[in-house]
Amino acid sequence: MPKCKINGKEVDVPQGTTIIEAFKASGQEIAHYCWHPGLSVAGVCRLCMVQIEGQPKLQIACNTEVKEGMVINNNSETVKDTVRWGLDFHLINHPLDCPICDQAGECGLQEQYMQFGKYDPEMAEHKVKKCKVVDLGPTVVLDSERCILCSRCVRFTDEVSKTHELGIFERGDRSEIGTFDGKPLNNKYSLNTVDICPVGALTSKDFRFRQRVWYLKEHNTICTGCSTGCNVKVYYNEEGCWRVKPRYNPDINGYWMCDEGRDIYKFINKKNRLQEITMTEKGVSKVFQAEELLPQLGLELKNAVQKNPESVALILTGQYSCEEYQSLLNLMVKSWGLKNVFHWVNHPESMEQFDGLLLRGDKNPNTKGLLNELDLLSLTQTWKDLEEKLHRNLIKHLIVAGPENLATFSDVKEKLKLFSSANKLIWLSAGIFEGVSSVCSQVVQIPTKTFFEKEGSYINHKGMKQRVTPGVEIVKSALSLCEFVEGLHHDNKGAHFQDMDSALVDTKLKEPLKENFFTATRGSL
Amino acid sequence: MSVVKNPGSASKWYLPGITIGLVSTFSTMIKNLFGRNKMITLNYPEEKYEYGPRFKGNHILTVKKDGSLRCTACMLCATNCPAQCIKIHAAEHNDPTVEKYPISYEIDILRCVFCGYCEEACPVDAIRMGPEWQTPALSGSNFTYDIRYLAYRPNLKGGIQSRLDDEERHKVGI
Ligand code: SF4
Ligand code: SF4
Ligand code: SF4
Ligand code: SF4
Ligand code: FES
Repeated sequence: MPKCKINGKEVDVPQGTTIIEAFKASGQEIAHYCWHPGLSVAGVCRLCMVQIEGQPKLQIACNTEVKEGMVINNNSETVKDTVRWGLDFHLINHPLDCPICDQAGECGLQEQYMQFGKYDPEMAEHKVKKCKVVDLGPTVVLDSERCILCSRCVRFTDEVSKTHELGIFERGDRSEIGTFDGKPLNNKYSLNTVDICPVGALTSKDFRFRQRVWYLKEHNTICTGCSTGCNVKVYYNEEGCWRVKPRYNPDINGYWMCDEGRDIYKFINKKNRLQEITMTEKGVSKVFQAEELLPQLGLELKNAVQKNPESVALILTGQYSCEEYQSLLNLMVKSWGLKNVFHWVNHPESMEQFDGLLLRGDKNPNTKGLLNELDLLSLTQTWKDLEEKLHRNLIKHLIVAGPENLATFSDVKEKLKLFSSANKLIWLSAGIFEGVSSVCSQVVQIPTKTFFEKEGSYINHKGMKQRVTPGVEIVKSALSLCEFVEGLHHDNKGAHFQDMDSALVDTKLKEPLKENFFTATRGSL
Repeated sequence: MSVVKNPGSASKWYLPGITIGLVSTFSTMIKNLFGRNKMITLNYPEEKYEYGPRFKGNHILTVKKDGSLRCTACMLCATNCPAQCIKIHAAEHNDPTVEKYPISYEIDILRCVFCGYCEEACPVDAIRMGPEWQTPALSGSNFTYDIRYLAYRPNLKGGIQSRLDDEERHKVGI
């Protein structure tokens, strides 16, 4: 365990640690571009300069190992000067693009210029012009002028996604990032290159120009796109959710996430969501308040189960949190005595698939949690049993805790056809699916909260339990399954149970919307 | 709180006050009748007062040489606006040299405090505060100025040109 001194502070690091890692570990600032903790060391940006006592020249921190007794600093005038003029070199051909650059606000150049630069440029030559708005592939746009050739993106495609699309072409100040032979950058992890690009050279097509980053707030949560459960941040503001980025978790996703998972912000946005609790009977829909409808529905279902347990069935998907399964099963199975509980598997053929990095074929965040709960209550009926029972018209009431993310359910239509032999369908879902209301003679549709709006835990494929906290309220009348259950056995009709989210929730993490935000009251003069 | 004031005896002596007031009124009237060019009031709205060139009135979006909008939709004005009355939606332009442009730009002028911070924030001289200030309208919605009004209203006679031109900048090597 070599000991060293960084800016006068004693630091003890494991053998083989580089100086930059020691800086990070001791919580000190150091300028850098090309070093990324998830990638190999390139040592090309020459910005991470440090002075080591006893060595005549400055060294780069990212490619120098800490040795016993090293005395290192990066706050001497020599180092500061070197970093400043190193930055000047990086910016010689950099365009004045900040106003139209998506990276502005979270840009390495802007930050480090303010921190270490603040020089007056001394270049008299004309700037070298390169290609702008280069379409690299289905997800990423390149601006070569803004690129500082740190090679992070190249190393990512070489080392992490192992698809080797990107490379640096030409020499000197004409060097440019590109793909060989114009082949597109098209892999399942391509958008990570946008995250790690320290400048605005790589931008995401999906997010391009839609918001300025300083308008966005972030909320830490997990991705519910597949059973890996990558840790992510969802960026949102008053107008909705805008993008998803990975959050470091060494046990699950490291620094990365897949491109598919970045789409999960779409289904939580209001325009894609079921808005009201409705009951449709003979083609006529009526909107209900949860307080009026649920207690009465609870009574009806309870009577039906107690009269004939075979006539009611509960169908669960792997999309909800453990707490929600527990409270639903507690009520229906334990206290009512329901026997018919089934697991709706959306991709039975690809459930076990894994692409070797992150992406899994099981497109549900909590299949494991659901199976655990079903096991605990020894509920072992299979989908075949349900099909048979439906064909024999045994089932009259069908409660379906359906898809939250409809994009991962390709079989909703055929499943709905199957359900049509029941008399009454209670459909819980976050999204809108055309034609649900006409499946049975009576259909109750209840909007559910998404993972972004509720508290709960999800168990990933490895059996790791992860907790999510609520970000903001998006659909006012949406209920979590816990709240739905609360409503069903609420004898006290009309009492307010929404937002109770059962006794499991102790701390509410609601951020109040800023009033008078300029978009909120537009046109209502 | 309602306060009842008992009129004192002094309030009965209003006649001298009224007489002084009437003398002042009539002397000014007679002066104005015989020396109309020295009158200090204006016959608004036929006559209007000209403010100095630095007056901060209604906003103008400037245009490029070809008449298209100068604004790059950077949203710095909207960020800087203390009244939060600017709303911009950006989009990708077909022309890669333009790249980003606003598809909608609205100013809620009733909320604007005419501070001029938007003008100051703009990196490309795309928004200016013009001389107009008398812009009445009948309904509240008329006070949300849209992109067409801001850039091409009849008063501007086809648009005001921005001082900053990208091509010129590129020519000098920036
Ligand atoms: S990469 Fe950074 S410095 Fe360069 S134009 Fe974009 S925001 Fe500005
Ligand atoms: S595109 Fe971005 S990540 Fe890739 S080399 Fe250039 S600056 Fe680095
Ligand atoms: S003048 Fe001030 S208040 Fe009005 S739009 Fe500009 S920045 Fe906003
Ligand atoms: S007017 Fe100026 S500051 Fe406002 S968005 Fe357009 S370019 Fe940016
Ligand atoms: S971070 Fe060390 S050279 Fe780039």
